Amino acid sequence: MFDSVKEIVDTANKTGKAISELIIEDEIKTSGLSRAEIWKKMQFNLQTMQKAVKRGESGKGVMSSTGLTGGEAVKVAKYRQTHKTLSGDTMMGAVQAAMATNEVNAALGIICATPTAGSSGTLPGVIASLEKRLNLDEDALVRFLFTAGGFGLVIANHAGIAGATGGCQAEVGSASAMGAAAAVEAAGGTPQQCAEALSIAISNLLGLVCDPIAGLVEVPCVKRNAIGAANALVSADLALAGCVSVIPADECIMALDKVGKSMPAALRETGIGGLAGTPTGQAIKAKIFGKDA
Amino acid sequence: MANYRSVFDIIGPVMVGPSSSHTAGAVAIGNAARLIFQKTPKKVIVHYYESFAKTHRGHGTDFAIAGGLLGMAPDDERIPKAPEMVAKAGIKLRFVEEEGPSPINHPNTAIIDLSDGEKQITVGGCSIGGGTIEIRLIELQGCKMNLTGPLPMVLYQSNEKNNPLVSQLNELLDQEAGLQKLQKWPVANGELYEFDIEKYLAPETLASLQEKFKGIIYLK
Repeated sequence: MFDSVKEIVDTANKTGKAISELIIEDEIKTSGLSRAEIWKKMQFNLQTMQKAVKRGESGKGVMSSTGLTGGEAVKVAKYRQTHKTLSGDTMMGAVQAAMATNEVNAALGIICATPTAGSSGTLPGVIASLEKRLNLDEDALVRFLFTAGGFGLVIANHAGIAGATGGCQAEVGSASAMGAAAAVEAAGGTPQQCAEALSIAISNLLGLVCDPIAGLVEVPCVKRNAIGAANALVSADLALAGCVSVIPADECIMALDKVGKSMPAALRETGIGGLAGTPTGQAIKAKIFGKDA
Repeated sequence: MANYRSVFDIIGPVMVGPSSSHTAGAVAIGNAARLIFQKTPKKVIVHYYESFAKTHRGHGTDFAIAGGLLGMAPDDERIPKAPEMVAKAGIKLRFVEEEGPSPINHPNTAIIDLSDGEKQITVGGCSIGGGTIEIRLIELQGCKMNLTGPLPMVLYQSNEKNNPLVSQLNELLDQEAGLQKLQKWPVANGELYEFDIEKYLAPETLASLQEKFKGIIYLK
């Protein structure tokens, strides 16, 4: 198993293998499963993501039982059709798919956690836009997920991926970094450029708090995934343009961990601080769970 | 040792929303408690700590633990109905929001008491993110065992001391999955062993171990 981003990049450079291939080979060793079984499992995860996107953006979309979230991916879809979007259609396609997924998640629908359920829209957002923009086939998208997962393992083991321990930077921040790195590989970038994209993406979301209103994975989670997907694409583009991160990837991950550890509990998925602590946030909580909750 | 071992810990699990820590992880903790108890309990009390205590209602943690106790997978669409199914199965299930810090030192903690009139155990699990869990505590027959935590893990209770089966199991696990650490605790009529392994057991390997070592528990 890879213990650092540097190790992934060095191994890819030394062997000339794609990062996705290195991660598949590693998984075969760890899991006791065959390549075909592992591939099938990842293909199922991809299809689950695509189904959730479709569900969230079709018809009237989905609504959560609290009514706090839902139906906005559909609004974005309509807006794209009828307006000239400010940030471009690829970007808004990513945003739409990301929000669709998290709206399905909030409605207790079936999603693929990547790396978590709260951040489950970020990668599908990146995937939806890359698929169109780069004409990627299913095999390429499955490989995208192995690469994203490989980088995600390093982040998870060195900084963590739970909002309760590291804030939203650990969830949407990690997802965005994984998506940025995997997008670079999908676009034909070098392993080092993958690392640069990951570093840039983490740096941009460092310090992001986890402050769900009423403790629900709805507000602000749905729109944070929109930003996670957008940040992944911007970071990948910067890396592909040859921009570099001054701080190396593994040190960015170290910073992610340290920032998470210094965050007060009120900003780590307790539904107490941040947006959850605002008068409106508190009023919504009282309305849903009663005053004594 | 790394907490996350498989790429599917990061891309996955496929699950019913809304939270991987509080829903999918809670399903996994419920499942682990069921596997460790080894039969259907009559009474289950779940003690929540910290983030779990504060947000379990919003995150569906209650129905997730109930689903795990019934052996459901995290993507089982019956999970939101699991508490009713638990009641129908004749299991009394109660949730308690505890004040103060987690006894096993993690914000997403559930400590579960299971009993059936004869047997009583306590299982302490925490959900470390992305649906991945650790089992850090088991109490049975008056013995409190602070486990290492990360999965996969194999538990084996031997009813005699210096049981030759234990060294056989030790060797097999090391060969098949890389033994990381072995701990043992004295329990009323024997010893309980915790084997922390590096890799997951292939389904056929697990089946043959279960055949040979009765009552072996595999948590993954």
